[in-house]
Amino acid sequence: MHLKVNDESHEVTVDVERTLLSVLRHELGLTGTKYGCGEGNCGACTVLIDGEATRSCITPVTSAGGRDITTIEGLADGDTLHPVQEAFVEHTAFQCAYCTPGFIMSSTVLLDRNPAPDDEQIRSALSGHICRCGAYVRILKAVKSASSEPVQSEGGAS
Amino acid sequence: MSRQNADPDIALKVVGAPRWTPEPDPRTPPGDPATLLTIDSDGVVSAFSGKVEYGQGIRNGFAMEIADELDVGVDSVQIVLGDTDLVPQDRGTTGSASTRTVGIQLRRAAATARRALIDLAATRLEVSAGSLKTRDGQVVPDDGSAGVRYADLLSGNSLTLDIPDVVQVKAVEEFQLMGRPARRIDAVSRVTGAAKYAQDVVVSGMLYGKILRPPSYGAKLRQIDTTRAERVSGVVSVVQDGDFVGVVAEREDVAEYAVEAIRARWEESRDTASDWNIPALLKERAEDLTALREGGDLGAGFGSADRVFENTYYVPYVSNAQMEPSASVARWDGDHLTIWSANRGPFAERDSLAEMFGLDTSQVRVTAAEIGGSFGTKTPTVSYEAARLAKAVDAPVRVSYNRAEEFSWSTVRPAATFEIKSGVDADGNIMAWDYAAFHAGENAFRGKRGADILYDVDNVRIGVAASESPLQSGSYRSLGGATNHFAREVHMDEIAVGLGLDPLEFRLRNLTHDRLRPCLIAAAEAFGWATRQKRPGVGYGMAIGYDAGSFTAQCVEVLVENGEARVTRVVVGFDCGLVVNPDGARNQIEGSIIMGMGTALWEAVEFDGGRVLNAGFARYRVPRIADTPEIEVVFTGGDDVPSSGAGEPGIVAIAPAIANAVRDATGTAIQELPIVPRL
Ligand code: FES
Ligand code: FES
Repeated sequence: MHLKVNDESHEVTVDVERTLLSVLRHELGLTGTKYGCGEGNCGACTVLIDGEATRSCITPVTSAGGRDITTIEGLADGDTLHPVQEAFVEHTAFQCAYCTPGFIMSSTVLLDRNPAPDDEQIRSALSGHICRCGAYVRILKAVKSASSEPVQSEGGAS
Repeated sequence: MSRQNADPDIALKVVGAPRWTPEPDPRTPPGDPATLLTIDSDGVVSAFSGKVEYGQGIRNGFAMEIADELDVGVDSVQIVLGDTDLVPQDRGTTGSASTRTVGIQLRRAAATARRALIDLAATRLEVSAGSLKTRDGQVVPDDGSAGVRYADLLSGNSLTLDIPDVVQVKAVEEFQLMGRPARRIDAVSRVTGAAKYAQDVVVSGMLYGKILRPPSYGAKLRQIDTTRAERVSGVVSVVQDGDFVGVVAEREDVAEYAVEAIRARWEESRDTASDWNIPALLKERAEDLTALREGGDLGAGFGSADRVFENTYYVPYVSNAQMEPSASVARWDGDHLTIWSANRGPFAERDSLAEMFGLDTSQVRVTAAEIGGSFGTKTPTVSYEAARLAKAVDAPVRVSYNRAEEFSWSTVRPAATFEIKSGVDADGNIMAWDYAAFHAGENAFRGKRGADILYDVDNVRIGVAASESPLQSGSYRSLGGATNHFAREVHMDEIAVGLGLDPLEFRLRNLTHDRLRPCLIAAAEAFGWATRQKRPGVGYGMAIGYDAGSFTAQCVEVLVENGEARVTRVVVGFDCGLVVNPDGARNQIEGSIIMGMGTALWEAVEFDGGRVLNAGFARYRVPRIADTPEIEVVFTGGDDVPSSGAGEPGIVAIAPAIANAVRDATGTAIQELPIVPRL
């Protein structure tokens, strides 16, 4: 079948039961998308399908055929980071960063739809993601700073 | 990769023991001399440490320290961590405490190199060394004349330097980078998906392994039929060696599918504790208490007390549940084993693998991949499994746990039961303190951490015992520190409430400790403890603690309504001595607070007869972003006090502070965790 990932077309032979996550990671070598639970509960595997934040671990690869898939590897424009990536760096919005690709993918969707979300809206948009390192304080700041109504960071990252 | 010592490009090399303490310290032996720092002919600085990065920002911390000592940009410093063939051995000691002894030694190595560069320049420029300084990767004369780049000074050289006994490292005022907020040098690879974790490592010809798991701990394999699994297309081999059974396949999902096709009959052990009866069994099945400290005369202390308080506390097993499930790649080249894993202790892992396979340690190489969280778990078990399968099929094999395996088969923080009896006089002075802790797990080592009391009390007995564990106990942030603190600090509030004293006042009355007392005062002040407003459903609590050489005091505000408790605000007083990287320390402390909040409010491993019942995030509630409180950190350490850890100490006081706040809100004492299911 045909998979369009990060604007590149790939021909992959897959069986019906395979998840999009498994194909991205194992067939295409796109390991930036993470496995965290395989049950749709943690958000580590989030990718964009036609602009929707989607959990690739519970998405059959067959349902993604011919659609526009974006992974964390496809977010930056060459060496120029996406503003959300930039904001995560700026605020060190991670520790181990295993959860980071997923948070970033969902945040880009939130900000596309709502360029100036308030704290509650950010919390609710990202509530399906888990960061066990507990970098939430910074993730909130980073997303806010990437929005069109950024806050001043207090004392934390500069 | 070649061994760094053989690299012809190295122009300067500094050799020394990996750790340094101002006074010899039996707990942190310096270790065997090894190459700690090199500068190549292009001026690129590399530093080598047996520590590993697991999200605490250690790579960044070391890079800043070295860049500062050597006056080079942080970008020209490479930190090589956790590859047992390349870095000095870091044995035994893990955790925040030993990191500082490694960090200071790397600074000393950098200072040694700097000294040598100045000497080289002095000879070249025919001036005295005293008239030279270093700046931006150059040695520059005081008189403003042209400087010489390190690379030019070093070209054609091949120097090996030993770190002298006395090394002049820079004073705090001279730091450019240390002590200032900084971007982590590994940041970009972490936001672009480029960072490679153990789950992501692929080596040429690699196959995927999956292990057949018993239904419960301690179950014995009685019968097995693997025919169906062998027939699955894509399966390379079904490996069986006693109770160890695994499938190796060309794809991970195929291996997983094939394992499910194995028919097996297990005999399960019946006599293990379950979550409902373990609080009592921990005491019943414990070994004898070992006295961690005994002082004064307990009998006399209780005799002089006006009130005696006595209570039992229980903290359940909790799961580390780090985001990256355990994974490891093993490859055999003849009788040499190479492992790519996410272990925090690559040397310990190397040594145990060597022992398991009857090899010399020189035949095993362990390379630490990026670690997707750890908090103490990630044992060599997964590497052992991968290595056994790799050996059987004669090809590299990766074993990656799925989330259910991670919940059921990785180590968990030991459950513990505590008995505390205290006596206080009418003024609120603690006269006697009798403490007994029963921690699940094979030895009492973990349970001792944080068991001692730092309040002023002369008549004291601190006893700790290891007890039979129905689950596999392991390390978790601060080991037993967080659980011991829960019992002690909740008990402190029970006394305060019993005597009608303010919890702050009661603590201060019994606390002269020169670092904890100011830390508590600062936290209470920043929180506005004295002016807190009592409102329906709102409660306030505090707790203090110590761990890994650091001290903390935490004040929290909670809102309890509709059977839920929400932490709305946390103020953390934190004394970790000199703060090398305030932003990094804050990040660690915030993370500890969030993690500890989960253990206070929701988390407990549910199990019955050795079976874990809630092996998934849908049934094991962890903190989510919506739960994030406002967190403020106040650093109270002195710049002249050596740095100590921030990664673990942050967690010790938060659960009792929350429990005390919930009690304040509801009037009901909290003696067991987690809190929310009991509201
Ligand atoms: S891995 Fe997909 S939601 Fe957790
Ligand atoms: S940074 Fe480690 S899980 Fe989020």
